[in-house]
Amino acid sequence: MRELELYFGPQHLGMVGNFSITLKVEGDRILEATSNPGYLHRGFEKLMELRKWIQNFPMVCRINVVEPDSMEMVYSMAVEKLAGIEVPERAQYIRSIYLELARVSSHLFGLWAYANMLGFDTVAQWAMYHRDLVLDLFEELTGGRVYHIYIWPGGVRRDFPQDFKDKIVNTLHSIGGCVPDYDATFFNNRIFYQRSKGIGKVTREEAKEMGATGQVLRATGMKYDIRKVEPYAAYDQVPWDVPTREDGDAYSRVWVIRDEMIESVHMIFKLLDKIPQGEVYNKVPNPFKWNIPKGEAYVRCESSRGELGLYLVSNGEDKPYRVHFRTPSYPHGLTILEKALKNESIADVGNIMISLYVVAPEIDR
Amino acid sequence: MNSLLKKNLKSAFKGLQIEIPEKDRLIISAKKDTVLPILRFLKDTGYEHLALVSCVDWIEEKEFELIYILSAYMQKDSEYTDREKTNITLKTRISRENPDFFTVIPVFETAEPYEREIHELYGIHFEGHPRQVPLLLERNYKIPPFRKDFDTREYVKEVFDNIPFVEGRAGEE
Repeated sequence: MRELELYFGPQHLGMVGNFSITLKVEGDRILEATSNPGYLHRGFEKLMELRKWIQNFPMVCRINVVEPDSMEMVYSMAVEKLAGIEVPERAQYIRSIYLELARVSSHLFGLWAYANMLGFDTVAQWAMYHRDLVLDLFEELTGGRVYHIYIWPGGVRRDFPQDFKDKIVNTLHSIGGCVPDYDATFFNNRIFYQRSKGIGKVTREEAKEMGATGQVLRATGMKYDIRKVEPYAAYDQVPWDVPTREDGDAYSRVWVIRDEMIESVHMIFKLLDKIPQGEVYNKVPNPFKWNIPKGEAYVRCESSRGELGLYLVSNGEDKPYRVHFRTPSYPHGLTILEKALKNESIADVGNIMISLYVVAPEIDR
Repeated sequence: MNSLLKKNLKSAFKGLQIEIPEKDRLIISAKKDTVLPILRFLKDTGYEHLALVSCVDWIEEKEFELIYILSAYMQKDSEYTDREKTNITLKTRISRENPDFFTVIPVFETAEPYEREIHELYGIHFEGHPRQVPLLLERNYKIPPFRKDFDTREYVKEVFDNIPFVEGRAGEE
């Protein structure tokens, strides 16, 4: 049969986000795939070198559109480490609760994308609605729906408003009450099983070789999660488990995402029970005259997609000297995706890409 | 644990500078030609996760610094040890005038897009890299844009101030 070159994205119905893949196909089989990122390259890392430490927050959170909160967290962690700032205990708990809420909202968004792509429009609409309920919580807490800039070096910007705990519990209960519906319509659905079982398989060895983290690795059975490996915020204060699956295919990855959402909700309840009283903010110097001592730091946290790291270098001045984000989608979208697409069918390209949880802005930065 | 690794590294390679700034961090400064053997050594020791390849432009010292950050995957599926907590930073410096380096893809496959990006943004040539083609950018730049001597504001002025008005629009106003 004849070989053809096929452009998949950025203007393609099966493509979620500003990303494109060039496929070399023979009939329906993919012989070779090449990822083309860069449609959303804004050069944030360069721009951050021109702004003061605090002025960088609005940019940091825009690196990953779907989940800005762990970006804020990782930047705050790096600044705290370089400047030697302590964070009060209550703020650590609030950070954890807030990041888990963000994880739930990000996974619901991911579920929207995945369900939509497979043609489960109802489930997609539910997921989007439930994400909106979480965004309502964020709006009350921070004033913003999508970009919050809530985590700050030294703590969080403000304490929980009155009765906010109850609101979190109520919202999560109303989302959790729909889990049986989700299961019946989507996760236990035969069509979903047949569309995703055995598709886009990444074995443990391949995943390790290609730098996978997050769901891609956890779907092969390894409980690798930075929240457990190198605990930050208040993740070591409550007991919780890392959900895994064994097969390493799209089906396993999506089930890991589902189980993780439920685990996050349980974790939020446990954290809310244990949250101590006290300050939420340690004062930092005047941001406009704030010089951070010379040094370098690599910090990492677990975003909803895997290991999110930040390499930050300070020159002893009021601006960062070099910022480099290690985003989980970078190896997932550029190395693993190219490998996983080989010998698959054209109809499964979107399926594999979304199940690998690739989000384009994070790759481009 | 980390001091043992430090000892092993020191005995295997001559002339290494190793710092342990805090409990779970290890910073190794190495010469250009020992980078590949060290990476291989660390990979064999179990630090098989190359998290990041980065580059810093130290313009005053006229040098580029390449940074490799490594950590370890878990050995058993559900047992957390101190080993995974450790982050190793391997640094090496190359001259800014002659920015040639070699690829580490034979040891770490994940380095491929990172090196491609550094080639594009800093203009460092990686010997043996299979596809050093642009990754993120579409325009050709006189100076690779992430270098410190690239002036963002001047570039914006040069490129975007010269875009002419849409035909007729200036006349209508």
